[in-house]
Amino acid sequence: METILSVNNISKRYGKIQAVDDLSLEVKKGQVFGILGPNGSGKTTTLSIILELIKSNKGSFQWFGELPSKESRKRIGSVIESPNFYPYLSPVNNLKIVAEIKDFGYDDIDRVLNLTGLYERRNSRFKTFSFGMKQRLAVASALLGNPDVMILDEPTNGLDPQGIAHIRELILLIASQGTTIIIASHLLDEVQKICTHVAVLDRGRKLFDGKVSEVLAVSDSFELSALNIELLKQTVALHPAFVSLIPIGEKILVYFKEDIQPAELNQFFFQKDVILSHLSERKRSLEQHFLELLDDNK
Amino acid sequence: MTKLLRIEFKKILTYKIFWILVGLYFIFLSAGILMAEFMINNMVDNMNRHLPIPVPHVAIYFFPWVWQNIAFFATIRYVLIFPAIVIIILVTNEYTFKTIRQNMINGMSKAEFLNSKLLLILLISVIMTIFVAIATLILGFSNTADVNLAMVLEKSSFIFGFFVTILTFQVFALFFAFLMRNTGLSIAIFTLYVFIIEPILYYFLKSPIVFENNISTYLPVNSVLRVTEYPSIQVLKQVMGLNLQNTVSFWACCIPLGYAAVMIGIVYWVISKRDL
Repeated sequence: METILSVNNISKRYGKIQAVDDLSLEVKKGQVFGILGPNGSGKTTTLSIILELIKSNKGSFQWFGELPSKESRKRIGSVIESPNFYPYLSPVNNLKIVAEIKDFGYDDIDRVLNLTGLYERRNSRFKTFSFGMKQRLAVASALLGNPDVMILDEPTNGLDPQGIAHIRELILLIASQGTTIIIASHLLDEVQKICTHVAVLDRGRKLFDGKVSEVLAVSDSFELSALNIELLKQTVALHPAFVSLIPIGEKILVYFKEDIQPAELNQFFFQKDVILSHLSERKRSLEQHFLELLDDNK
Repeated sequence: MTKLLRIEFKKILTYKIFWILVGLYFIFLSAGILMAEFMINNMVDNMNRHLPIPVPHVAIYFFPWVWQNIAFFATIRYVLIFPAIVIIILVTNEYTFKTIRQNMINGMSKAEFLNSKLLLILLISVIMTIFVAIATLILGFSNTADVNLAMVLEKSSFIFGFFVTILTFQVFALFFAFLMRNTGLSIAIFTLYVFIIEPILYYFLKSPIVFENNISTYLPVNSVLRVTEYPSIQVLKQVMGLNLQNTVSFWACCIPLGYAAVMIGIVYWVISKRDL
């Protein structure tokens, strides 16, 4: 598959703070790529570097297999942090400036205003807009001229539930048309609903990346106990879906890659001649899972 | 190039503050040009009260001297400050609204961004030069008795002097705006420099107490104002003993143009190094 963006070992330091630490990413055509991490994990810095707003101290990156240039930026639609427009101009005139810079005609402006539900307000000045409308105009501007890639930094931040739903629908619609999307978010739920691939960042470092279904798989864990706890530990490691175990007193907490039915697990141990004295399933929330992912890597 | 100008037009087309300042500029400029003669004669009347032989009233709007006189009065500090403030506002706005970031994200290069502002300065300078040239021709033709082509063209080099002055002065303003990025701060520092700091430096360097030199004439703003140094008024010549310039000298234009070139170079270097 065609590589859209490849980031090779970039680092960025602000004084004592290492904002991005030896980060490498690869985004392929058609992916909805999530960059997931808590606040201050280096998501925005990373996006600012790949958009050439700030220079990295080390490393390099390529867009569409070429060195980054203003021409590559014209093929990218971006929504970074706050929506930045000329407050005294109408959305139409603001979008005309964007179209001029990107060498497009004006014919696409009505379409993107309609898509984002701003067509009725196309001639009011930008500064009269509510925050939600400003954010939608930023999305409209990013959509202009059907870019090959869209970069969205916390696109639903500060929006009401209706606004969030609208923006998410829009992203899914654009993704379904084959546009590659790179989206930074601190919301696990958002990444899981929208993205196909994800990289998890913490304090500038990449912890994992891969398919959302694999990295963020919310496998359940089981609390197990048996008379012979050592034999139990050895046996559970043989299970094909086994990930890890944590001893808790007389019991062990076991993580599995995929959903396992308790009955199935019981049968597995029975066949291996291990008699369980305790078996209970532990459901975890997504957030808990995410925090565990981060904790494990500290 | 036309693309960059089109973008600049879009940015200012419905920007009220820009048009208000442009309107004020035209009012001040026209008033300055049209009231110059009246003001000078007021001064002459005041002087005459103390002189045994009264000095006759001056006339400044006739060919060929009208070129020099209007180029002088259209480039005094109080009038030149208007286009300079307009440029400072247009540049620093881009930082305040973070639209410079957005322009870069959308595919503009930093050099293109600087060029678009420089083109705007060039265009404003050309338009103002045409305006002042037309005003000069109208005043000249309506105040000169026997006009012939040679008379009309004789001192027309001063209109080029006007162009160099207004162009370089705006580049100075652009320099302050790009370095400081903040509207209020750049306007304050620029105006302070033009009206207070450089005049103090000028008189300090000029006074023979320090040492004999002509460094003061090379101060940036002074070098700009020196392109059209004095109006051509005989009274001034006689009473104050000034040695009036006859033409716009090539060297006098080179100094402010040199400053402008260096400032553009510094701005280019600074913005290409600086993160947005």
